[in-house]
Amino acid sequence: MTLARGERMLMRGNEAIGQAALDAGCRAYFGYPITPQNQIPDYMAAHMPEVGGVFLQAESEVAAINMVYGAAAAGVRTMTTSSSPGISLMQEGISYIAQSEVPCVIVNIMRGGSGLGNIAPAQSDYFQAVKGGGHGDYRTLVFAAWSVQELYDLTREAFDIADRYRSPVMVLGDALLGQMMEPIVLPEEVVDPDALPPKPWATDGAKGRPRRIVNSLYIEPLDLERMNRQLQARYDEAAEREVRCATEHLEDAKLALVAYGTAARVGISAIEQARAAGIPAGLFRPISLYPFPNRELARVAEQVDAILVAEMSLGQLVEDVRLAVDGSCPVHLYGRPGGVVPTPAEVVEQIERVMADTRG
Amino acid sequence: MSAPEFKYEITRGFLPGHRACAGCGQASAVRLIMETVGPQCIVANTTGCLEVFSTPHPESAWGVPWVHSLFENSAAVASGIEAALRKQGKLSGVKVLAFGGDGATLDIGFGALSGMFERGHDVLYFCMDNEAYMNTGIQRSGSTPFAAATTTSPAGRESFGEDRPKKDLPAIAAAHGIPYVATAAMSFFADLRRKVKKALEIEGPRYIQVHVPCPPGWGYEERLSVEVGKLAVECGMYPLVEWENGKVTRVRKIKKIPVEEYLKGQRRFRHLFRTEEGKAQLPKIQEIADENIEKYGLAD
Repeated sequence: MTLARGERMLMRGNEAIGQAALDAGCRAYFGYPITPQNQIPDYMAAHMPEVGGVFLQAESEVAAINMVYGAAAAGVRTMTTSSSPGISLMQEGISYIAQSEVPCVIVNIMRGGSGLGNIAPAQSDYFQAVKGGGHGDYRTLVFAAWSVQELYDLTREAFDIADRYRSPVMVLGDALLGQMMEPIVLPEEVVDPDALPPKPWATDGAKGRPRRIVNSLYIEPLDLERMNRQLQARYDEAAEREVRCATEHLEDAKLALVAYGTAARVGISAIEQARAAGIPAGLFRPISLYPFPNRELARVAEQVDAILVAEMSLGQLVEDVRLAVDGSCPVHLYGRPGGVVPTPAEVVEQIERVMADTRG
Repeated sequence: MSAPEFKYEITRGFLPGHRACAGCGQASAVRLIMETVGPQCIVANTTGCLEVFSTPHPESAWGVPWVHSLFENSAAVASGIEAALRKQGKLSGVKVLAFGGDGATLDIGFGALSGMFERGHDVLYFCMDNEAYMNTGIQRSGSTPFAAATTTSPAGRESFGEDRPKKDLPAIAAAHGIPYVATAAMSFFADLRRKVKKALEIEGPRYIQVHVPCPPGWGYEERLSVEVGKLAVECGMYPLVEWENGKVTRVRKIKKIPVEEYLKGQRRFRHLFRTEEGKAQLPKIQEIADENIEKYGLAD
């Protein structure tokens, strides 16, 4: 495959995710068909052989995530991708991967739920992504993109972060981001998986050295508590080092719109319209959803009169916003669940409503 | 929301007006099946083409009680329906049916299907076999035939398409010792109807796998679905067989045409006639058909 690296090119979001994984040195991809992310396995089926990696279509998402567990335990950079109902099926495996302390990347191209729902863009898996999702005291580190370029950048970086924290890392997109094409610049350099630092815990053959054990079973409660605390210590470290957020027009803002992903794309248009009408609004966009940018948002809350949360779900992101703000300014919610993408005009209307309430 | 308003008088199980593609083999097969079953039934349907094209909310092409669940579950949902109704003495005269595609049945729902067989539920399960995940855009399944190109088994420099033979689920079903297993084809209407009728007279878990040609997935003209399906059977690649209590009891004899006659009209096999590596696969496909012919005595 010839890619024009270093130059602007047009790429589909789902394909950018596939290329990011290849460029990050991912050499084992496991997937299962589900709309709207099928271009990722299609891309991997076509291009993984070119770098000598494994493309494997599993018989279910349960199988796919456990293949990831196996490949990750063997020390290979590995990824699976799916969409909301498929990610639900994977939760048991993600819990095992987290407690077994092996790194992997999981991409969720979210669609409307619950149940079979639909295949339209949504953000209704926020809680599932950031609060653990499966059973037990674990989290996944979660990053949310708002463009095709950012899907590439975050997916690629997710492999480094996963290795650093020996943790599953989830990248969130949605049906819109996955399906749309945008200009993207691919970096010239790609990762050589053979040049990555050794993984001294990987189960890659014990000839000539002591055995290594990958495990999440700790019968003694005190042992398991210690392991749970060890995971938490890593999450605390990630909260110091891996928080990402972006802001637009916040300097003089009286209202901060908090949104991520596609909702933030709509939000920035709404803010530009609001500012044209003389309303000083700005955007706060969390990119790391876990760890959440608590301190950064708390500072914004000190400065503005009100916060409006715009999310394509019904009151999920707003809970983390309220925890971060901790009562220092009023927090309002505008949520559109079910695969509905709000229009900028709708969000402007909400901005006007909140500004009126706040002044009143 | 108010209940959907049906434009048709509900006299049949599967009504016109659904959104299947032109030439859809599955839509024709389901219509034939539901005409044969009649109105006294409950249908559990997995996710897949059938569910998507027949039930875009608030419309439905089903004139009978119908419940949907995700990909892996229709055998389990049907088991639950059957067990609950049986315990209440309400099963008399009511047929519990399950429909799944080949991905749902051979791959993700295989465990639930085996459990339904093992427990002996009085359920008639139909696997609608179009030999790939068509609803999501033509990904290979356990039922994809050897050397067929799909989006996840693409033909190209590194690959001649699917590198594994089709999973023989009818034989696996028969190995459970269930009372009735059959393979059928949309293209052989009378044979399909006869098998459905026969299955309806038998109590216990029953499995019918129906070959349903797919114009967009296989790549042929929509008007040719019946023809293409006939060729699959007549060359021995899709043997029509019946098993009762684990033993083969009847087979449909075939004309024994060369497999190329079946393969050449389909885009998914086009590479087999264009590249050297592709051409080298043709004898292997003939071998698969010959093994079927020998095993079931299709040409005796």
